[in-house]
Amino acid sequence: MPLDTSSYSLALLRLDGRRWNELRRIHAQISTQAAVDGSSYLEMGNTKIICTVTGPAEGRRVGGGGSGGEATIQVEISVAGFSGVDRKKSGRGDRRIFELSYTIEQAVQTTLHTQNYSGSTISINLHVLTQDGSLLAALINAATLALIDAGVPMSDYLCACTAGSTTNTASSKGAPRPQAALPGLSSLDEEADDPLLDLNGLEEQELPFLTVGTLGASEKVVVCIMETRVQATRLEEMLAVGVDGCKRVRSIMDSVVRDHGKRMVDEG
Amino acid sequence: MPPTSSQLLLSPAELSYLHSSLSLTPPIRPDGRTTTQFRPLVAESGIIPSANGSARVCFSDGTEAIAGVKAEVEKSQWRPGSTEQSLQVDEDGGDDEAGQAGTQGTGENSWISMSIEVPGFRDDDALPVFLSAMLTEALLADGKLKDRLWINRRFHWKLYIDILLLSAPLSYPLPLLSLTTHLALLSARLPKLKSEGDEDPLFDDDWEASTYLYPRDTKGACLDRPPITLLVIAVGPNFVFDPSKEELAVAEAVIALSAGTSDASTLNKNLRLLSIRTIDPPSRLTPLGIPDALSSAATGSAPLPPDEQLAAREGTDEHGVWNPPRGGMKRAVLAQIIKAVIEPGGVAQEVMDGLMHVEV
Amino acid sequence: MPREVELSNNERDFILGALRQGLRLDGRGQDVYRELEISFGEEYGVVDVRLGKTRIVARISCEVVAPYPDRKFDGVFVISTEFSPMASPAFEVGRQNQDEIILSRILEKAIRRSSALDTESLCIIAGSKCFSLRADIHVLDHDGNLIDTACAGLVTALQHFKRPDVEVQGEKVTIFTAREREPVPLSMLHHPLCVTFSYYDGGQIALLDATFAEEQVREGEIIVTMNRNGEVCQIAKYGGVAVDALAILSWTNMALVKVQAMTKVIQARLKEDAERRDKDGIAAELRADNDRPSERPHG
Repeated sequence: MPLDTSSYSLALLRLDGRRWNELRRIHAQISTQAAVDGSSYLEMGNTKIICTVTGPAEGRRVGGGGSGGEATIQVEISVAGFSGVDRKKSGRGDRRIFELSYTIEQAVQTTLHTQNYSGSTISINLHVLTQDGSLLAALINAATLALIDAGVPMSDYLCACTAGSTTNTASSKGAPRPQAALPGLSSLDEEADDPLLDLNGLEEQELPFLTVGTLGASEKVVVCIMETRVQATRLEEMLAVGVDGCKRVRSIMDSVVRDHGKRMVDEG
Repeated sequence: MPPTSSQLLLSPAELSYLHSSLSLTPPIRPDGRTTTQFRPLVAESGIIPSANGSARVCFSDGTEAIAGVKAEVEKSQWRPGSTEQSLQVDEDGGDDEAGQAGTQGTGENSWISMSIEVPGFRDDDALPVFLSAMLTEALLADGKLKDRLWINRRFHWKLYIDILLLSAPLSYPLPLLSLTTHLALLSARLPKLKSEGDEDPLFDDDWEASTYLYPRDTKGACLDRPPITLLVIAVGPNFVFDPSKEELAVAEAVIALSAGTSDASTLNKNLRLLSIRTIDPPSRLTPLGIPDALSSAATGSAPLPPDEQLAAREGTDEHGVWNPPRGGMKRAVLAQIIKAVIEPGGVAQEVMDGLMHVEV
Repeated sequence: MPREVELSNNERDFILGALRQGLRLDGRGQDVYRELEISFGEEYGVVDVRLGKTRIVARISCEVVAPYPDRKFDGVFVISTEFSPMASPAFEVGRQNQDEIILSRILEKAIRRSSALDTESLCIIAGSKCFSLRADIHVLDHDGNLIDTACAGLVTALQHFKRPDVEVQGEKVTIFTAREREPVPLSMLHHPLCVTFSYYDGGQIALLDATFAEEQVREGEIIVTMNRNGEVCQIAKYGGVAVDALAILSWTNMALVKVQAMTKVIQARLKEDAERRDKDGIAAELRADNDRPSERPHG
């Protein structure tokens, strides 16, 4: 089902009524669970994540001390069977899930001050309750919030969001090379090219997009994953929009943490 | 077969103290509850819009679970020559041949599929498989749920129940999962059927028009309810509901009881016992206490070799020295437990009524 | 679990110190690849690629199977990777380590998701018969930059491979052996290649084609997959130390130059091999899209 981008160029509104640079509603809570060291609940639009963090605690595996005096990070992601439109059970050996958890592991490793916890393990459990695009970004944000709740020192918020482009050349299968496409069509597409911020599930299926994660409000990119084909010239604006989105995500996450802290002080 | 993390580090003296206080009449529980009193819990239902029914339950010890019920239309397999067969409850609920295809309102066990995710466990590990088998067994035992999944002779609903345990399995998670499933099923709704007869099913887009999987009357009261599974432990002549992990550590026997509504007509009056199961008590693995007579520290003599030590303590039943129980309970206690669960106004009734009032 | 011998602190300091002075252990410039050596096997689709000491063998094979019921018009294309213990003591048989899963995911995204191979062309009869293409990547020696080497090997092998010709008459399918009819090359839509940047000092120093020792001391990596038309097929930066967004952009520009150069090398080698096989110059006559003698108009 091709996404009807014709209406986009007319009203400059997306399927869910947003403008190109609008984030979906982000709602987050921290300290949602009593039995773990840190926990968070995050909604980015209809993508909902629960994250729990245990640790830093004594490592379960003994003798694996190859990490050179740093804490080991373990990330486990479970995607609920009811999270998508169709019920789907993801197996343990799913490489896509492995890649997601590997990404979070690597990203968190450099953001946390793991050298303070040599020999210990920080385990991050992520549960995907519903998914509607920007999954990796939501997972990263939820993990950051839970790690803050657990009180693990880190350099700055690790915040992520997705950015896409309304370009059609990459998604049209029949015309993979620009020169093979009809000249009239490609020039039409050039005009309609627009970067988009924070894609939902439908947009992700149709448009090229990347997930970018930055360190706080800086322009420093920790995570950058793109899985769809796009002209290199589009990359610059996609990254710019993504980095800008991360700054906004950071301020939202920051207010969540501050509100929680304030409430804790008020309630004693 | 309790999860390993439920092993508490209690000394034999502490275990012995717990055991004797629970054996008193009336028993004294460490948190001061009565025998049938439950710990407070937080529950909400209908939290996941992409599922037909969902619920989240959080126990006061911090364990938390989320359940989602998703229904999908599936083509029924027509089984030629299948006639009346006795309905059997199979553990895996999958490949048994129970059910009479073609007869209106006859469901098959395989129409309900349950999976449980416990952090730190693979989904084919013993614990999740065993838990889901127990919960499915109770769901199927009441026999009416699967019949309601029948759409027409060619199609049926396939019900997927996915339960996520969010916290590490601190205590035995069966009651938590059961209550979460109960709530999720209670809130589950199926879209209204618009097509007729055996044609391809067509449903009403209007979610407001959908019907509850467990039918309700006009006032919103449930005519039928999903079963619940409760955990009870026996200590000496006493039994205790909703045991905490400390209490589980000294239990002589642990049993899981499933109770469900018996018949729509005699609603709220009679509950039925659907299944009862004994569970290997974790107390079996607790460290044993050493009586003074055998302690080398107390008598000053050389310690006996382990096998002789074991033989020497055989038969001794010194008060205050912890001996891990060997399991088993008196029949009278079991009868009392069953009565307490299913009698009108009993524990199961109370729990179900409590859960009925959970709002979104 | 066996592990690779870790570098000593002295070695680390030495490599990093040299890099900060703009020197690499093997004397290359920071943006210079080791020489890409490609040799072909006797059969179509067997390619041996070396990049310095790193060596992989890619082999393409195909068979006729029924397509997946939900993808009736597509053939099947599987990429499988195998890390042989002879490449590195850290690799074990039958156990996937992290690098292997990441490598296979990158190849999956670079080649399959970017639809480099036209899987629809592998379909013989919709819904009942199609070619199942299998690419096996064997890592024989590991001296860094596995991903670039594996991707180059795979793309070369796909271009080199020829599948048997088929003829469909109604429901009847005839598959011709190489003797009967010259096999047909695969239909590729574009040729993506991976370029891995290893960076140091927060992105101040970026190395191309890092050796194993250089990989061990890096702060992070970013893998960019592009084709010579300037399309980015995939970018993967799994965490690691943060770098400036502008650095990523300039690296993709550099990647394009490298991809174009590498594509040239690969095409040249493919052409050489095709000429070697085509000694008498009869390949053009044997091509499947030529008219068959029986179909030729008499006259």
